Amino acid sequence: MYTTNHKDVGLLYFFTSCYFGIVGAVLALLMRVQLSVPNNNFLNAFYYNQAVTMHGLIMIFWFLSPIAIGLANYFVPLQIGAKDLAFPRLNALSYWLYLAGGVLAVSSFFVPGGSASAGWTTYQPLAVLTAGSGPTLTYLGLVLLAVSITLGSVNFLTTIIWLRGPGVTLSKVPMFTWFFLFTIIAMLYAFPTIIAAFVLASTDRILGTVFFTTQAIQPSILWDNLFWFFGHPEVYIVLLPAFGIIANVIPQFTGRPLAARNAILVATALVVIPLSFGVWMHHMFLTGIPVALQGAFSIATIAISIPFDVITLAFVESLIRGRVKFATPMLFSLGGVVLFIIGGITGVFLSSPVLDRVFRGSYFVVSHFHYVMVGAAIFGIIAGIYYWLPRMTGHMYNEKLGQLHFVISFIGFNILYFPMNLLYDMPRRIFTYQNVGNWAMLNGIASIGAFIFAGAQILLAWNVLHTWFRGPQAPPNPWGSPDLEWTSHAEGMSPAANTSSPAPAGGWIGQLSSAPAAAAASAEATPYAAGEHAHLSSRPLQLSVGIMLFLAGAATWPGITALGLLVVGGLVVIYAFWEWAKDDMHGRFTMPDEAEGERWPFGGVPKLKLGMWVFLSSEVVLFGSFLGALIFIRAASPNWPPAGSIHDIPLGTVNTLVLVTSGLTMFLAIQAIRQGDQRRLLGWLGTTFALGSVFMGIKVSEWITLGTNHFVLTNPTYSLAASAYYIIVGLHGAHVTAGLIFMIYLMKKTSSGFYTKENHEAIENFGLYWAFVDIVWCFVFPLFYLL
Amino acid sequence: MRTLVGVGVWVYMVVAVLTEVLLYYQHLAYPVLVSVVSILATSQGVAIVLFYMQMKDEPASVKLFAIIPLMFLSALLVAELASLG
Repeated sequence: MYTTNHKDVGLLYFFTSCYFGIVGAVLALLMRVQLSVPNNNFLNAFYYNQAVTMHGLIMIFWFLSPIAIGLANYFVPLQIGAKDLAFPRLNALSYWLYLAGGVLAVSSFFVPGGSASAGWTTYQPLAVLTAGSGPTLTYLGLVLLAVSITLGSVNFLTTIIWLRGPGVTLSKVPMFTWFFLFTIIAMLYAFPTIIAAFVLASTDRILGTVFFTTQAIQPSILWDNLFWFFGHPEVYIVLLPAFGIIANVIPQFTGRPLAARNAILVATALVVIPLSFGVWMHHMFLTGIPVALQGAFSIATIAISIPFDVITLAFVESLIRGRVKFATPMLFSLGGVVLFIIGGITGVFLSSPVLDRVFRGSYFVVSHFHYVMVGAAIFGIIAGIYYWLPRMTGHMYNEKLGQLHFVISFIGFNILYFPMNLLYDMPRRIFTYQNVGNWAMLNGIASIGAFIFAGAQILLAWNVLHTWFRGPQAPPNPWGSPDLEWTSHAEGMSPAANTSSPAPAGGWIGQLSSAPAAAAASAEATPYAAGEHAHLSSRPLQLSVGIMLFLAGAATWPGITALGLLVVGGLVVIYAFWEWAKDDMHGRFTMPDEAEGERWPFGGVPKLKLGMWVFLSSEVVLFGSFLGALIFIRAASPNWPPAGSIHDIPLGTVNTLVLVTSGLTMFLAIQAIRQGDQRRLLGWLGTTFALGSVFMGIKVSEWITLGTNHFVLTNPTYSLAASAYYIIVGLHGAHVTAGLIFMIYLMKKTSSGFYTKENHEAIENFGLYWAFVDIVWCFVFPLFYLL
Repeated sequence: MRTLVGVGVWVYMVVAVLTEVLLYYQHLAYPVLVSVVSILATSQGVAIVLFYMQMKDEPASVKLFAIIPLMFLSALLVAELASLG
């Protein structure tokens, strides 16, 4: 429960995501039973809508991405020769926030009115107007999950950049780690947008803001932009780890290096990731966006298929040139590639605005989507499970059972989803249907396929558990892989064994000399020096539980139970933060310094500073999404209150100058400690704290004045402007307040003489944060006060 | 030297904020006001990033962490506004 070890956290992610996968699968089977025959009454519309919504949300957010994160937690550090992730407690916090979000979402089934039921895309204003606290629980759960993934992205990015072992240059990083690096870059910039979207939706439901219920603008377009700006990269977030696994697996079972490795990496880095953020509007062709925009996004959508052609052709060429061994990981890899080709081709149809008009609302889209997200992604992940099972358990799985699992899965999958291509004339968002054409027959076949495909996964579960507890001993490197997770294991376990499993011949790019393997083996065998503290911390769990209780209270507000949850949750959060700070103050949780390894192109940038830059990079997208929403609302709203009619410009100007001055004093604090002057450091920190407090004090007084002047959410004249002002300025204020609290901690440590000329990284990093808060206000101030 | 630069940046920030406010009171045409204020706000942000956050001293790879999200955000903002028709 208190572990922060990457392998333990990886297994926690793995098994938790499997649990959520089972929940999502059960919901899918309920839907397929309902749709198996026309005019069925197995599920009525109320339950069907919940099943289809929660199936989508759970599968995408709590199963598909996190199971890859689980494997990455376990194997990325091993593949790069690191002892652990860069920030182990943050890693544990990411896991517990993920679980807490999932608990909130699943608990929504058990509150009056049921769970979210407006579809996984949560289109507005339908979703905001759905009654009950269940949807709010789910949306706040999603916010927690998105925060968890953003923190995880910061952690993984820093790890892969900064903690590569000696000899693990970028050219030697295995393909799974490379593809996971691409994945987390997409996560880092996609998930803050969904945080913004669901925060706005949640405040509409809880506080009465009107972002998506206002009739002053067309709010559905705002939601579509925010949701799909996240939603389309999410496809690659789910897909790329599976492709990384496939790219890792293929060379082991063809005896040849992966063809066009560099071309794959360049295509993914320079085309897939940037373009994944430039195609989202093909999901909005039917919303009435201008034709020119449709054309531009249609071209971009077709263009993004090109790098995937490169990847797929490279896989095929590797197969042609090599001698294929049809072991289970290879079978699932091949299956994933085949299913991706089918899903990819059907996707090209949808890039055409004309064809999209026909297919968008039909089961053709359901088929396309599942061929990519389930076929390619899940088959790739299953390949990884079989591939690494001997490494995780030390035992060998049952090969025959694995092959049988593949055959039944592949057949079941296609029986389930291929008929949906032929259902291109059947609407997809209906809970029952009349017997039109072949609808009944095709739906019946699909439902049979669903049970075959789901049943096949029992074989996987049995194989994994049997391997774990009763499987025969596996060789240390059963596939003869040159990658570090195997070679270091082999060296750590039995040096002799490694030579009996020679790597395939051919001078691979991924092949490593024995030096980094030995270093990694040593890192793994003795992760912590003797006498250091245990690798445990209860704070991530406590913090997550506190936040979960608080959000549960917010979602179910008003009522005495909700109040209790808010109070208890708030107290637990304060306690967890307090104890976390005390742990740090007393050095209760320390990590050993990492050995100097490969850090190009970030050599010379300290680890914490790099982490802070990465975090702030995601914060840019978070605030940018909010401010973008504000600009959209302003541009769309004909009756926005004129500047100067609401806000006190002189007071706002003074407050801006106060914050700007605090930026200077923080800068001077850093200069002081760089010269080793602790007294001046404390003085400038104190001044910064005082200026920040004055800023917040003036803000609070402004809010009180605005409230008394009827600038409130309930005033129809100002409801939209007030919604935007209070949420965006409130978010900035929350950042300032967090900074002030942290400053108290810094001043306490400063007064104890902790920071010196040589050791003051925390001060430097906090300076980055405080400057960022300043920058945000540089845009917030004119947007609300002057324009 | 660094302290002088920091103070210089602060002076620029103060002047920029006061200029923004002054321009507001000049009742300029709205598009002109938006353009000028946007440029001033952006210049303040750039000054903070370069000097207070000392991005100018960081390797080019770190600069990417500022540039990449701004690229994505620009795409979002432009397309968002274009989607209004």
